[in-house]
Amino acid sequence: MHELSLVQGIIDAVGETVAEKGGRVRSVRIGVGELAQFDVRLVRSLLNDLKKGTPLEGARIIVEPEKSKIKCLSCGMIWDFQDLAGAISGDEREIMHFLPELLNSCSRCPNCSRSYFEIEEGRSVRIMEVVLDA
Amino acid sequence: MPDSESGPDFRRGMIDRRLAHTKRVLLVMSGKGGVGKSVVSAALAGIAAATGLKAGLMDADIYGPSSALLLGAKGLPVEGESGLVPPTLGGVKVMSVDLFASGRPIPLAGAGANEILLELLALTDWGELDCLVVDMPPATGDIMLTLTSLRKDDVAAVVVTMPDRLSVSVAHRVLELLKGGGVTTVGVLGNMVRGSAKHRDTGPGNLAKEFGVPLLGLLPYDPSVPRAVERGSPDALLRTKFARGLRKSMNSYLRAMTGGASDEEE
Repeated sequence: MHELSLVQGIIDAVGETVAEKGGRVRSVRIGVGELAQFDVRLVRSLLNDLKKGTPLEGARIIVEPEKSKIKCLSCGMIWDFQDLAGAISGDEREIMHFLPELLNSCSRCPNCSRSYFEIEEGRSVRIMEVVLDA
Repeated sequence: MPDSESGPDFRRGMIDRRLAHTKRVLLVMSGKGGVGKSVVSAALAGIAAATGLKAGLMDADIYGPSSALLLGAKGLPVEGESGLVPPTLGGVKVMSVDLFASGRPIPLAGAGANEILLELLALTDWGELDCLVVDMPPATGDIMLTLTSLRKDDVAAVVVTMPDRLSVSVAHRVLELLKGGGVTTVGVLGNMVRGSAKHRDTGPGNLAKEFGVPLLGLLPYDPSVPRAVERGSPDALLRTKFARGLRKSMNSYLRAMTGGASDEEE
């Protein structure tokens, strides 16, 4: 369950931000990108469990799903993971769970069939915002 | 007034913490493809493991990964409590994007390759390592910049080159980039060297001299290496004349890690 490592990484990074800037954490906003297919509730629950005794304790923690946005650099088409869902196998979903960029290995642009596209939004879990009180 | 800022990339801190349990990181570089970096990296990690060191091999050649194939690793890594557990082959823990891609092409635009590298470094639970050998990709882009900027002491590089003018000219650029950049250059390693000693020494030797770094060795082309690679076994690779030469070439580096226990038997 590498979600646990990632959530611990988030907590440590917020702690480092506080150590560097000072102050208290008022709120943290976490985006859970759909390409990595994490369970948003699990991420929220892990954060709530692991925040105890850290600078995140007492802070408002917002965990929200982040829709994917994939752009073809050849024809300009923009699509999201749901548009491809039927064309991606279970094995392919599993490798994208670890490495979302491997979407490029598993699919092509739905418009021009080229492989020249990039993930603009919604790849994996990320810290979107940290609000500190001085 | 609250101070709001966009969130930090938490993977950087994860990488620092992962590598805190690794004594040394050795980047095997050349700048150019086809000079044998991947085989040198795999053999070097195997030699380190055979010497009794805890060795890892990180395949940073995201577009053209070969470390898993070279060591015979396949299948998704297991998810442990603390991250992804790299498979161990011949005593070497190996991590490669190909354990996930399984031979699929990896066409990545923009920052894609570096994203994969950061993810693998952040997620891989190497445990305690004496040495993490990194098979670097050709070129001097994001991946090289990420790995030469690791926030860690004891990051060193071996620059591999064939003796021809093209390989040497690209290796020259890499050495120039390494100069004063916080990564120690262990030396220049000539690989797939053919011809008489007089001719062999010109390219790599001059390069080492120009940058004031050791010429680690001039490894002749060894036809048994492709056969060992076909077998995809670390043992087969370590039995080659090439691997024996590599061990000799890297003896000082290995000795520094083992306190002399890796002395090459003459």
